[in-house]
Amino acid sequence: MSNFSSIAYYIPELILVILILSVIVIDLIPSLQDLKFPVAFIGLGLLALALNLSHGVKASIFMDLIVVDPFSHFFKWIFVLATASILLVSRYSVEVEEENHVEYISLMLMILLGLFLMASSTNLLMIYLAIELVSIPSYILAGMKKNDRASNEASLKYVIFGSFASGLMLFGLSWLYGISGSTNILDIHAALLTNGNQFLVYMSLMMIMVGFGYKISMAPFHYWTPDVYEGSPTPVTAFFSIGPKAAGFAILIRVLYTIFTNDGSLNATSPLYDVNWTLIFAVLAAITMTIGNFLALHQENVKRLLAFSSISHVGFMLIAFTVIGTEALTALLFYLVIYFFMTLSAFIIAIFIKNKLDTDTIDGWKGLAIRNPLISAFMVISLVSLAGLPPTAGFVGKFYLLAVLFRAKTFYWLAVVAILNSIVSLYYYFKIIKSMYFLNEEEEVSSEPLEVNPYVKWTAILFSAQTLLFYFYWTPLIEFINRSLSFWNS
Amino acid sequence: MDSMILTLLIFLPVFGAVAMLPAAKIVGKDNPNIFKWIALVITGLQLLLAVVLYMGFDSTLSVSTSPYTVQLDWIKHFNIQYFVGVDGLSMPMVLLTALLSFLSIGISWNITKQPLGYFALFLLLDAGMMGVFLSLDFFLFYVFWEVMLLPMYFLIGMWGGPQRHYAAIKFFLFTLFGSVLMLLGMLALYFYSDPHTFNLITLIQTASSIDATLWGMDMRYLIWFALFIGFAIKVPVFPFHTWLPLAHVEAPTAISVILAGVLLKMGTYGLLRISYPLLPGEVINFAYILAFLGVINILWGAVNAIAQIDMKKMIAYSSVSHMGYVLLGMAAVVSTNDGGAQAGLNGAVMQMFNHGTITAMLFMLVGVIYEKAHHRYIFYPDDYKDPALAGKPGFGGIGAQMPVFTAFVAFAFFAGLGLPALSGFISEALCFIGGFSVFRTLTIIGTLGILLNAVYFLRAYQHVFLGPLNEKYKDYTDMSTMDLAIVVPLAVIVLFLGVYPAPLVDMIAPSLDALIQIIQSAF
Amino acid sequence: MYLNYSPIIIYTILAIIMVVVPLFIQSLISPKHNKGGSKLTSYECGEVPEGSAWVKFNVRFYVIALIFIIFDVEVVFMFPWAVVFQELGLLAFVEMLIFLLILLVGFAYVWVKGDLGWVKMKMKYAHGRYSKLSIKEEV
Repeated sequence: MSNFSSIAYYIPELILVILILSVIVIDLIPSLQDLKFPVAFIGLGLLALALNLSHGVKASIFMDLIVVDPFSHFFKWIFVLATASILLVSRYSVEVEEENHVEYISLMLMILLGLFLMASSTNLLMIYLAIELVSIPSYILAGMKKNDRASNEASLKYVIFGSFASGLMLFGLSWLYGISGSTNILDIHAALLTNGNQFLVYMSLMMIMVGFGYKISMAPFHYWTPDVYEGSPTPVTAFFSIGPKAAGFAILIRVLYTIFTNDGSLNATSPLYDVNWTLIFAVLAAITMTIGNFLALHQENVKRLLAFSSISHVGFMLIAFTVIGTEALTALLFYLVIYFFMTLSAFIIAIFIKNKLDTDTIDGWKGLAIRNPLISAFMVISLVSLAGLPPTAGFVGKFYLLAVLFRAKTFYWLAVVAILNSIVSLYYYFKIIKSMYFLNEEEEVSSEPLEVNPYVKWTAILFSAQTLLFYFYWTPLIEFINRSLSFWNS
Repeated sequence: MDSMILTLLIFLPVFGAVAMLPAAKIVGKDNPNIFKWIALVITGLQLLLAVVLYMGFDSTLSVSTSPYTVQLDWIKHFNIQYFVGVDGLSMPMVLLTALLSFLSIGISWNITKQPLGYFALFLLLDAGMMGVFLSLDFFLFYVFWEVMLLPMYFLIGMWGGPQRHYAAIKFFLFTLFGSVLMLLGMLALYFYSDPHTFNLITLIQTASSIDATLWGMDMRYLIWFALFIGFAIKVPVFPFHTWLPLAHVEAPTAISVILAGVLLKMGTYGLLRISYPLLPGEVINFAYILAFLGVINILWGAVNAIAQIDMKKMIAYSSVSHMGYVLLGMAAVVSTNDGGAQAGLNGAVMQMFNHGTITAMLFMLVGVIYEKAHHRYIFYPDDYKDPALAGKPGFGGIGAQMPVFTAFVAFAFFAGLGLPALSGFISEALCFIGGFSVFRTLTIIGTLGILLNAVYFLRAYQHVFLGPLNEKYKDYTDMSTMDLAIVVPLAVIVLFLGVYPAPLVDMIAPSLDALIQIIQSAF
Repeated sequence: MYLNYSPIIIYTILAIIMVVVPLFIQSLISPKHNKGGSKLTSYECGEVPEGSAWVKFNVRFYVIALIFIIFDVEVVFMFPWAVVFQELGLLAFVEMLIFLLILLVGFAYVWVKGDLGWVKMKMKYAHGRYSKLSIKEEV
């Protein structure tokens, strides 16, 4: 589609760009400065409306650089919800200083734009640009606490790891271009079908995996995650654990399914289909979840613990890549939605604790059950969901992912590794619960009630309640996901 | 109305737990009365419903013809159903759960620490237990099975004894290890059966036709193994029993009653409900090992109980020993001698019910003395914090001071060691008769357990209740009316079933005959 | 077809040789003695160097440099646009207008925030993000 007629399909992104600019402009006019957050929310509301109107549209726009399809649409909803809730909570966070609010909002929205592009790119160059558009504002956000050395360290580590990973990925992308002669992934698929050289495909796949794996913090590219998560302001950490990860999965699915499968199946014969990437992913999934879980065991810092737990959840989600098919993708997207709710609610409660008690450590949460029983109860629900136990949706998510393996009757060893890991994970999630609820006789903790800002409280409650809701009845969500599993192809 | 009863049985406690929240708003969280009355009324209603169910229960009907069965679609995508029903296997367990839950509220009448949390969690636990015994869909079963863990974790960890935190997480990790293996077995059953289903009744036909191998082993064997570990941890079968003494000792009295009275039965119930009918071929292959583990349980539990100086720990180990009888009786299902299989299986299910009542009585009575003395030592440990008391008898001569209490303890101890005319005797004898028809040597070794049982019960009785009165306890009063109200119904049941077990046998026999039929036809 | 890539391989090998060989040669012919003393000092047009070469620059240099680069690149973008402006007409004009508008917002931002003000140490004039440095009126 030509550039000019593409604009009609590009309205959500345009709204977003206008929103970014207007937030900056508003801050420059002294009498309007207090309207930054309201304008951001109104803009995001308009964005959601535009998204809702473009439901079900399928088109390839801007000369096949990006596409609009139900698949990207699904992810855009996750990004918008994540950004809106994080912005709502950040407004009351002590870690984001008042004088940095405009930079904070606009950088967050720029990342959102990058995430939108990540979910819908079909061109190697566009993929790279989108990843960088997400990464560069992320580096700044990680260092938002200017006078905090941990935050500075987080920012620098993120930059160094990020640019190294991007470099390797760019190298891999250029190999792919070299062997296929095109940067469009559909053309690459067609080219590789006829003259794919397995060795070259493997090599480029490996190097691309460095870039994507770094974005979703897959082992062995996870080293940045704990330090960056610990050092960044907590709202930013919460955003990092959702937005870029979901986008990383979106791009991974799109690239792998477009280049290496024939529309989601392997029914044609070509040397390309002998590239055994599912085995690679099985091994990576096992390594990722094991590393994440075992390193989380001895963490004393809640943010760091949640960082390792997010690594282990990524490992779980990678299980879906070991089987090719719609069922696997359904399971992955379902898990992603549930992961979104449970992680965000846990982080929002962590933000609340940081605001009130200025502590990140598990010991700092001591006696929370007495000081605020409501929030503690919902934290328990989130943690139980993260551990994957009934009656929460975290269990349903794990159930779906394991069912993928059993349905395809492959990789049983991975299923065993996964369930053993879920036992390990229980131990450290319950360390937090133990700290909140269990007190020794001689321990004295303050029993003074902790007041919560109503917005923060209701966001946390709403999100953790979802994990209960989707446990008791998840059919509509599955139907929505099944409708979303339609790529633009041809 | 009939179809509503089972649903009400499961969800009435949930409703009660939710109703406590507005109640807490009105009267304040720290006033325990409202919560314990809500809990008492709810569990009382549940007991009433269970009795109504029992009145209308016809043991000759299978679950597919029973009027109580409810079958509704829950999640179409996986063909998961809300499928609950009651048959001869689950009926005694439902009665036991309802009875013990009701009595446990009475036992916890003096809880003052965070009463809202305690009673709400207790009701959720109750709902989970009821759900496990009533569900006939594997997914639903698994869900209720896991739902119980969380309230139990909090109940042990917040209201328990000195080592409660460790006990709670150990209990949780052990049971979770079992249940995740069960999850794998469940998924394998679902995807290898054709058509894919979690329906435990349909699976009886389809599961035995699973024909696949994995890692060089038969798939059915692996499924049996995964399910067995899951259930064995709950029973608990040696060597998975190490969580049990700790959890039982650290839990508050009412929770010990529930743990020993109901939760342990879930393991054997699961085996009988799921592993036995679905994988009869594996039952036959595995029967000898099951009987062997049962005998080890009997002896190991008893020998350990003899070594205990803490009364509660002694009773906990006696539970391990008593569950061994159940395993031995269950293994006897492979007996080619017709009466043997019947005796074994009937004995096992009866023992599940009887042990529930007897052990509840034992824990409750130990709770009574603990309330007064704040310790339970038959002998103080050698490293006791007060060196003057280390190694000395903890009690002595209580019998003269508290005659009623002593009488009930004697009754419970004798029931525990299997005295004829009390219910434990009949079920244990049936288990041995069944076992003897197949595994002669093993059963003969197992009967040693009866002797060992007598050793520890009589030893504890002698040191605590006989001999000269320990001066410390000379102003102790006897059991309160509340305590009597709790223990008398249990004692009546134990005595009644010991003299006249026919109601229990009539209730369970038809379903168990059908089960034996399934197993025997797999030879 | 991979023969097409042979120039790249040859080029790579040549590049490596061109780096390694001079290094090797200089290690052969360079004097082995007299390596210390004034040979190690930094070269400042024959003068004796004063102080360390590692001096701290004021961060304002970087801010100004960054802003300069942004507007420099903006002009670079305008050259190709100017070449085809005749053919594209009004559409191109509007597009460039939007592009400039976005950059103008950035320009306004740095201006209002006080990043263009060079002399910030005179706290009397501090504004924007440096307002914390301002001398209180009563002082």
